[in-house]
Amino acid sequence: MDRTGLPALAQRLRRELFASRTDGLITLVLLGALVALGGGFLRWALVQAQWAVVQANSTLFAVGRYPLDQQWRLWLLTTLLAAATGLSWGLLRGRSWPRNDTIAAVLLVALAVAAPLFLQLTLAIQARWWWITALLLALRWGAGRWGDRLPAAWRRLWPLLWPLLYLVGMVLISGGLGLMPVRPSDWGGLLLTLVQSSFAILLCFPLGVALALGRRSELPLLRWGSVIYIEFIRGAPLITLLFLGQNILGFLLPGGLAPDRVWRAAWVLTFFAAAYVAEAVRSGLAAVPRGQMEAARALGLPVPQALIHVVLPQALRVALPATVGQFITLLQDTTLLSLIGLLDLLGVARTVMANPAFLGKNAEVYLLLAVLFWCCCAALGLGSRALETRLNPNPLSAARA
Amino acid sequence: MTNPSSSASGAVMIEARGVEKWYPNGFQALRGADLTVRQGEVVVIMGPSGSGKSTFIRTFNALEDFQRGSIVVDGMALSNDVRNIDAIRREVGMVFQQFNLFPHLTVLENLTLAPVLVRKRPKAEVERQARQLLERVGIHEQAHKYPGQLSGGQQQRVAIARSLCMEPRILLFDEPTSALDPEMVQEVLEVMQELATDGITMVVVTHEVRFARKVANRVVLMADGQVVEEAPPEQFFTNPQHERSKQFLRQIA
Repeated sequence: MDRTGLPALAQRLRRELFASRTDGLITLVLLGALVALGGGFLRWALVQAQWAVVQANSTLFAVGRYPLDQQWRLWLLTTLLAAATGLSWGLLRGRSWPRNDTIAAVLLVALAVAAPLFLQLTLAIQARWWWITALLLALRWGAGRWGDRLPAAWRRLWPLLWPLLYLVGMVLISGGLGLMPVRPSDWGGLLLTLVQSSFAILLCFPLGVALALGRRSELPLLRWGSVIYIEFIRGAPLITLLFLGQNILGFLLPGGLAPDRVWRAAWVLTFFAAAYVAEAVRSGLAAVPRGQMEAARALGLPVPQALIHVVLPQALRVALPATVGQFITLLQDTTLLSLIGLLDLLGVARTVMANPAFLGKNAEVYLLLAVLFWCCCAALGLGSRALETRLNPNPLSAARA
Repeated sequence: MTNPSSSASGAVMIEARGVEKWYPNGFQALRGADLTVRQGEVVVIMGPSGSGKSTFIRTFNALEDFQRGSIVVDGMALSNDVRNIDAIRREVGMVFQQFNLFPHLTVLENLTLAPVLVRKRPKAEVERQARQLLERVGIHEQAHKYPGQLSGGQQQRVAIARSLCMEPRILLFDEPTSALDPEMVQEVLEVMQELATDGITMVVVTHEVRFARKVANRVVLMADGQVVEEAPPEQFFTNPQHERSKQFLRQIA
């Protein structure tokens, strides 16, 4: 029976929401609460809230005190990132446009139109955002359509684009190679938050895998070293470690690796997250049956090759959701940097709120922060889910004999 | 009674003498087990569960260590020298009860992984050989499927092909049909029987009496970590000498 149209909808609503008297009551109460809350919020956001605090400080929130005449570097980086995202997205999906992709594309366009308007940016800067969004979507479409014509070697190597882009990005941000250097203490806002969290995410992952393997090693020194490290880090609050790091990291790391407070904090975040990633990876390793290692060894593979080709691919796939959860926590933990005096998103927010011109505008600022963090975390989550499906071409393989 | 390649005079492939093994919890699994396997022979090891038969063949490729005695495989003495162990493992293939295929790799990749990585052979050549092997065990249509998409019997045949792809001189089978549904046992046994006719040296731990009668050159009975009786299959099944053998045959009859 294929029934469509309004009567079918009414029937479905009735079945799902008002099946019995209790169901109906629950539905009504929840609907009432939703309308009251949503209405109140909308009234506040549209009528009462004064968004001038965000509009006037949008640059500060985005990049902190990054020198104005050097900001073209960040625009260039944003463009490159958008291009890489579009390419990767297209190559992952190919010609197909699943519903989620369509929704994401529509949201991106809506954001590119609405956000600059809301922030009352100048037309020139609004146009930059349109152009960047258009580039991203065009590359998504183009790479999806013609990606399979690329030589096989290219298609295998395209993920290497990201580490390369990361290095380029670091140069663009911090200067060098002919660019005017910008000191880390001048980075701020979303820029600092993203630099810190991406640095920590990239480095904590290999470190975490090494620690997880070390914890299962047969060499006592390696095993106990890993256990002590993991348990020590997991037993201490991050904020303590951040303060500790500011004081002692200069002595612990080889000279030049942690020259200032920003990099010291980044290293602490890395070391902190690595311990948690190690535990996630360990659970993944435990999920791989012992027979896998035995079969690989019986075929003559030495332990490192057996780990790389047989055990780790399976373990990391199991550990991926927990690991990404850890990355998301890490991203949110960067707010603690404001407590050690860095101007990350929260740090910028605090200076803005301390400005007498914007006194009492806390709600607006915190809401902006919440939305920004939500966007970053949602992007991480979406990316990881895409990666998960990608790594698991065969749904049946999860059911092991 | 056909004993395909009775070459009792062939070169010695496995020579185990007085092998004793204790597990870390203090349990002694092997109490002086002896076995000699010659080239081209098919030796079937039987015995009650807990008799140490799996542990015994797993010492042959160093998946289990042992504390006393000596094992020489293909002229190489098993010791703690890692290089030696890797060399022996290249020559000794093993088929497991639980198949232990790599679930994240396709059937074809399961076969080609080790020859390419360990033997450093060109990939195209290994793939050609792998396809031939898959055809030989009757599953060449499934080359690009993942192990999880195959039945147990098919998975075990892939596992056999995977071992063969390394071109081992000896194949060890650790209860290869015990985890299979009854209707799939036969297809695996047929493949093994065909291998035996081809003259590869095989040591098989199994409970399949019909397979032992038809294919084995010798049947070995293990009990309490020792080899109790060793005889040609006809003699072993009709006229066992040892009391433990008689008892065992009564139990499985």
